[in-house]
Amino acid sequence: MTPPVRAWGRVLERRKAAADTFWIEVDCPSIAEHARPGQFVMLGTGLSDVAAPFLPRPFSIGAREDDGRLGFLLRVFGAGTRHLSAVGPGDDLLMLGPLGRPFSLPADRSIVCLAGGVGLAPFLFVGAEARSDEREVRIVYGERTGDRVFDPELIRRITGVEPDLRTEDGSLGRRGLVIDDLDLDDRPQLLACGPDPMLRACNDLALRHDLPLQVSVEEHMGCGVGTCQGCVVLSAEGEWIKSCTEGPVFDSRELAWRT
Amino acid sequence: MADLSQRLLGATFQTPVLLASGTCGYGEEYASLIPLDEIGGLVTKAVSLEPRPGNPPHRVAETPGGMINAIGLQNVGLDRFRSEKLPWLRENLRSARVLINVVGHSAEDYEAVVSGLDSDDGFLGYEINVSCPNVKDGTLFGTDERALSELVKDLRALTDRPLVVKLTPNVPDIGVYARICEEAGADGLSAINTFPGMLIDVEARRPVIGNVSGGVSGPAILPMGVYLTWRAAAAVSIPVIGIGGIRSGSDALQYILAGASLVQVGTALFVDPSAPVQVQAGIAEYMERHDVARVADLVGALTIPERE
Repeated sequence: MTPPVRAWGRVLERRKAAADTFWIEVDCPSIAEHARPGQFVMLGTGLSDVAAPFLPRPFSIGAREDDGRLGFLLRVFGAGTRHLSAVGPGDDLLMLGPLGRPFSLPADRSIVCLAGGVGLAPFLFVGAEARSDEREVRIVYGERTGDRVFDPELIRRITGVEPDLRTEDGSLGRRGLVIDDLDLDDRPQLLACGPDPMLRACNDLALRHDLPLQVSVEEHMGCGVGTCQGCVVLSAEGEWIKSCTEGPVFDSRELAWRT
Repeated sequence: MADLSQRLLGATFQTPVLLASGTCGYGEEYASLIPLDEIGGLVTKAVSLEPRPGNPPHRVAETPGGMINAIGLQNVGLDRFRSEKLPWLRENLRSARVLINVVGHSAEDYEAVVSGLDSDDGFLGYEINVSCPNVKDGTLFGTDERALSELVKDLRALTDRPLVVKLTPNVPDIGVYARICEEAGADGLSAINTFPGMLIDVEARRPVIGNVSGGVSGPAILPMGVYLTWRAAAAVSIPVIGIGGIRSGSDALQYILAGASLVQVGTALFVDPSAPVQVQAGIAEYMERHDVARVADLVGALTIPERE
C-alpha cells in the first residue's frame, strides 16, 4: 500500500444529494493518485480552526477522477459532520489519505454491492472502477425512508450503474431491505457497507448461500493511521484489530460476528 | 534562525518538541507524514512484559476541545517490541531522541521490561508510565507514595539510562510525587498523563466508552497541564517534560515558561500530523521576535507580578 499523504484539498463542488446529505468534490491529486475503492480519507479543518469539533472524521472515498478530484458522501450525524458538510467551493479541507485496506475485487465473479445508508459511499467508487474494467457490478442500496435516498441520477452519473433501490417505508424503490429478493444465481462476490445489524444480516446471507463477502466496517477513529489503536473490531481469533490499517475492509471470515 | 536545541538527560534534543506516548505508535506509522528525524524525539507506545489485548470498543470518542480514550495499553509486548519495532527506530531516528514508555502490573514487570531493553541500541532512556487511567492497576504506583518511591529506586538500580517518570494529574499535590521521584533517583518527569473522565450516551443510557471511563486529552486539559507542570517544576530540580493539549508554539511556550524543559505533542497529531512541525516553527518565531538565543533561557522564565 502507498504511504498516506497529508494535504490540503480545495473544495470544488458541494451539492445537496438527499436530506442532510451532501456530495462534495475536492481537488487533491496527491491523494487521488493512489486511491483504491474501499479506502478512506480523514477529513478535517486543521488545528487553527478552533471553532471546529476537535477530531477529523473518516470518509470512504466515493469517487476519484483522473484530474485529481475526490468525491465524498457526507451525511450530518453530529457536530463533526455538520461542521464538515458546511464547507463550500473555495474552502480548504485538511486531508489524510488514502488510508486502509481496499476492497479486493476477484476477476472471476460478478460483484454485488450491498449498501446501507451512507454505506453507499465506497460503492460509488467500486461501481465506477468495476465499470471501467468492464466488470459486471450491481449496487443494491437501501435507506429507511425515501427522503434520505442519495440522488439516483448522481449515482448513475458517478458509476454508470442503475442502482437497485430499497426503502423500508417503500416510498422509493422496492419496499424492503438490501438482502431481500436478491438474484445470486451467478454466485457473485458480495461487498457490504452499512450499519452493524445490516452487516450481520449480510454475513448470514453469505453463509446461507456460501458466497464470499467483504465488509467495510466503521468504528470511532482517532488517528486513522494505526497509532492510537482506538478503532478496533474483534477478529475471528478473538483479538482486537484496527479497522484503520487492518481494515476498514475485511473478508467476513476474518471477523467475529458474535453479538 | 533560533537555536531550538536543549541539552538534558545526558543528551542533546535538537528541538524541545517530542511526540507523546500512545499517539505516535512506534514511529513507523507516521513515517510518511511527519519528518520524525527533524523533531526533538518521540515516546513510544507503552511496552509491557507480555502483549496486552486492550479494551473493548468504543475506545475513543470526541469531547469539546479534545477526546477521551480507553485503549487499555494494547501493545505487542517486550519481545516483539525488541524484534519488530525497536530496529526501525534505531535505523530511522538518528537525530531525534527515543524514550520507551514502560508499563507493568507489578514492580517485577517494570523491572523485566527495563532489564530486557537496557543493552539494546536505538533509544535514549525510559518514560516510566505510572499514570494510565484506563487499566485497573494503571495508576497504582502513581498514586501511592511508597510504592512509587520503591519502584523508581528499583529501576534506578537496574539502569544508567535516563529515567523519566510520567506523573498522573490525579493526586492532591503533584509536587509531592515529583519530589518522591527525584529523591528516588529519577532523571526527569513527564507532566501529565490524561485526566480520568466519562461520557454518557443519553439515548442509550450507556457509557460511550467500552471501558466505561477513559482518559481526557486535547486542548481542554491545557490549563491543567500548564498548572501541574508549573507545580511539579517548582518542587524539583530535575527537568520536567510538559504534556497536555499542545497544538501551537504558543501552547508549548506556556509549558516552557511554566518550567518545562521539553514538551510533548499528542492528541493534536490526530488533527494534523504536521502539528509538531508547526509547534517547532511557532517556538522559533517567538524566539526570534523576542530575541531569545536559547530555549533554556525561557524555561521557567515566568514572571508572577507582586500583589499590591
